[in-house]
Amino acid sequence: MMLAINLLRRNWRSGELKLLGFSLLLAVAVLSGISIFTNRLESTLISESNSVLGADYIVRGSQPHNPNWPIAAAKENIQQTQAALFSSMVFAGDEMHLASVKAVDTGYPLRGQFEISRVPFAMNLADIEIAKPIPASGEAWVDSRLLPLLKIELGDTVAVGEYELKVTYVLIREPDSANPFSMTGARLIMNIADLEKTKVVQPGSRVDYQWLIASDNISQLKTFVDQLKPQLNKHQRLIDINSAQERVGRTLNTSRQFLLLSAVIAVLLAGVAIAITARQFSARHTDQVALMKSLGAGATRIRTLYFSQLVLLGVIASLIGLVFGELLQRTVATSLQQVYQIRLGDASFYPYVLSFFSGLMCLVFFALPALWYLPTVPPLKILRRELAVNVTQVWMQAALALFAVLTLVILFSRDLKLALSISGALLAVILVTIAAAYGLLALSKKMVLRLGGFWRLAFANLQRQRGQSLVQILVFSIAIMLLFTLTIVRTSLIEEWKVQVPDDAPNHFLVNIPKAELAQIQTMLEQNKVRPEPLYPMMRARLTHINGIETTEEQRSSVNSLRRELNVTWADTLAADNKVLEGVWWDKWQRSAANLPGVSVEVDTATEIGLKIGDKLQFSFGGLLLDAEVASFRSLDWRSMRPNFYFIFEPGALDAYSPTYITSIYLPTQQKSFINQLLLDHPTILVMELDRIIEQIRSIVNQVSDGVLLVLWLTLIGGCLVLLAAVMGSIAARKQQAGLLRALGSPRRLIVGSICAEFAILGFLAGLIAIIGTEILLISLQKFVLQTQIQPHYMYWLLSPLSGAVFVSALGYICCRHTVTTPPAVVLREAA
Amino acid sequence: MSAVAMVQANSVTKQVNTQEGNLTILHPVSISVLAGESLAITGASGSGKSTLLGILAGLDVPSSGEVILNGHNLSQLDEEGRAKVRAGNVGFIFQSFQLLPGLSAHENVMLPLELRGDKAASSKAREFLERVGLAQRLHHYPQQLSGGEQQRVAIARAFASEPSVLFADEPTGNLDSTTGARIIELLFELNRAQGTTLILITHEERLAQLCQRRIELAAGAIVSGRE
Repeated sequence: MMLAINLLRRNWRSGELKLLGFSLLLAVAVLSGISIFTNRLESTLISESNSVLGADYIVRGSQPHNPNWPIAAAKENIQQTQAALFSSMVFAGDEMHLASVKAVDTGYPLRGQFEISRVPFAMNLADIEIAKPIPASGEAWVDSRLLPLLKIELGDTVAVGEYELKVTYVLIREPDSANPFSMTGARLIMNIADLEKTKVVQPGSRVDYQWLIASDNISQLKTFVDQLKPQLNKHQRLIDINSAQERVGRTLNTSRQFLLLSAVIAVLLAGVAIAITARQFSARHTDQVALMKSLGAGATRIRTLYFSQLVLLGVIASLIGLVFGELLQRTVATSLQQVYQIRLGDASFYPYVLSFFSGLMCLVFFALPALWYLPTVPPLKILRRELAVNVTQVWMQAALALFAVLTLVILFSRDLKLALSISGALLAVILVTIAAAYGLLALSKKMVLRLGGFWRLAFANLQRQRGQSLVQILVFSIAIMLLFTLTIVRTSLIEEWKVQVPDDAPNHFLVNIPKAELAQIQTMLEQNKVRPEPLYPMMRARLTHINGIETTEEQRSSVNSLRRELNVTWADTLAADNKVLEGVWWDKWQRSAANLPGVSVEVDTATEIGLKIGDKLQFSFGGLLLDAEVASFRSLDWRSMRPNFYFIFEPGALDAYSPTYITSIYLPTQQKSFINQLLLDHPTILVMELDRIIEQIRSIVNQVSDGVLLVLWLTLIGGCLVLLAAVMGSIAARKQQAGLLRALGSPRRLIVGSICAEFAILGFLAGLIAIIGTEILLISLQKFVLQTQIQPHYMYWLLSPLSGAVFVSALGYICCRHTVTTPPAVVLREAA
Repeated sequence: MSAVAMVQANSVTKQVNTQEGNLTILHPVSISVLAGESLAITGASGSGKSTLLGILAGLDVPSSGEVILNGHNLSQLDEEGRAKVRAGNVGFIFQSFQLLPGLSAHENVMLPLELRGDKAASSKAREFLERVGLAQRLHHYPQQLSGGEQQRVAIARAFASEPSVLFADEPTGNLDSTTGARIIELLFELNRAQGTTLILITHEERLAQLCQRRIELAAGAIVSGRE
């Protein structure tokens, strides 16, 4: 072991292991930096996003939760609380209003907070308080608009059922308010302890019971939830941030995948650098091994010595890499904290362990195969240098590297599609490279004859060392491919996010606008220069019969859409973000013999209810019945921030019913006070403020973009290391040739020109192949992993070969430049 | 013959496969070298000198015949076994010095001692470098040393492990005549001091004459100095 340590120290000092060590260090630093950061970001984002939900998970149902669950949760130190939501008339004197009541227990909300005020419609931060506890028994917090609706002031009492509550605060914001259609009445928050006294909740009452849980120990919570799932009855649903907030969930997921993709690409680049440097290391050590064998070291001893050196190097580089990774993620986290005032949560132990072992794994799969043949070097080689050595085949190294890639990607992303996409694209690139490089090199053979000066020399060199040129093109193209893929994915993701949430995206819904007030409101909007999205008529209806059969109690309890009143509309044109998946839209719709109006149903709702095209449905509009026939199933984009409907009727079908209207508007922050005026003048209108969730999505996008930019730079360093390693590998031979040419009196221009030309050709070919690989990789990533739109990247077809040529030739020049300024004898001696 | 043979080769041949068929590099050769004796193998380029040296030192295996080195029948051992025999008995000096470029003179000399697990590797290496006159060059790297100095480091490395047999392949082949003469002097001086058996390949008449015996090879067969 001492000898292995000594040899490692000497090999390091002589520079032979430096590139290998740095590549490994970089791999672990980037991998740990990204995975620790992602882990922290993920836990923070989840807990931030969960503040919208009020908890990490909610069990929601029409019946109270199982009383055993709180006992089990308490044992696991999981935080918990409960709430009950229902609609109830609230009274104050002669006034009444159908309010959305939320009765909450101590501790509510587990995530996020109530914002309350003594000033109705408070906008000013100074007027807003963060509520620590919930309303005391006998008190209520209400939406500001309830005050004008009931003609009361703060301090007055309202009656909920048989119990009177004193209104102590107005509610400015609350968690779990994100579903704009879940309530139409003004919110009233009360203490769950008072619920019984109201006598509002009777057997058969429609109540949404919620059991909320949260924990900082994410894995423990997940385990608990996994155990909970099978215990849910058909009346209960488990809700997490993904199901509650598709927009945030999706952004979160894409960000996570992108960061992991970056990490994997960084590791791949470092892996390639490790593989190349290991190959160079082993080539240089062939003579050393022959000497050691002649001195009496057997194959086993040699294997042990080199393997120990590799493991030692791996452990040391991985540990230092971890330290750098930790510093890296701390730097990013600190800057995030300063810029966005966000404190990241703590990372779990998992990314540290995983990154450390990934470093060793990189070494085993990328470096060890290259060194594997060393113990088989015959000792006779010390006397007869021309003796052939069975070096590890490149294809064998590539196969093992691909295996390592697949394993690493699966380990980090736990996403088979991502792993297969990357590995498949890499394999394709290798095959394309071999075919294209052979073809292009053969083509260049013909060109040589027509060229003069250094170009001829450069092409001749490439031809002569065809095998080496092929490997270099392969390495350059993989590096360029990975870098471009990451750059393009980052750009397109951020653009996609920006498109999803444009600056002037509607950020407020105006719901429940009476037809009579429509004109006034439109005037008011115009006067305040607020541009509304189209107005949609909206009616509330209950689906009562399917194909003539009344829905059963069992169906109602298990299918959400059958349980409650639904918002329905009519429209003649299909909204841009809606897509007909089955059946036809009104332009092609023809009524059947039954002559019923058509209705288009949102596809998930249709699946949940179990509908087919042509099914006959009966709706009850407050007692007025309407029969309709299912004409189509639609998908819709909930992320669009525009009104969306589960049921859309054909034009004219709802003429007999009086609708209210819904629209969305964009209000910049400085114009927010407009809402107060609007609500004071039109208290029946419900305003859903989505600006907060939009802000939240923007903040996530900004955080991730910043993190990703840094990761991109790190990956670029990885890419440069690869290119440097590949160039260094062939530098000795080139130096020798340059020295010879110089000794023979060749001018500087010819030598420098031929070196630059040779690397420029290699870089150009690699760039050309890289862009083909990039497109292949992007198609598989966009189709299977990111699910974004596939489009060609014309600019990169030009940029890739050109930048390849410029960058690689510049590197070649930098590495070889001193051959023309140093005396030829010195160059030749060094090269020898 | 009363003295013990340190190296004994019995009817050793070497054939290699080429595209044109089997090529015989070494016709049956038998040699016996006594302990402490010095033998020069001479011959033109391609006469089979290096092949014979490789086989005698256990670096290569003969196609037929047997080699016994210090009582070990190399033909009956596998590569691992031959390595063990070399580790305990053999030292080398090469025409191209074969110093490891990444190691200093001191570390180059230490290497065979370290491979043996010799705890006093550092002090022994220092001592032998002093004996070859390189006390001031301990921490120099091969590229910082002249050809003669590099060969002196190689000699120190060969003798430091106190081998029973020293094989030298054209030890002065890469040196000018003056430096070569000094190297020869040093080589024989250490050889005498340690009583090492010396088998060397050379083109140089001067060097061959200093050896107690010589054989000449031509086309893979001994043409003079036959046993």
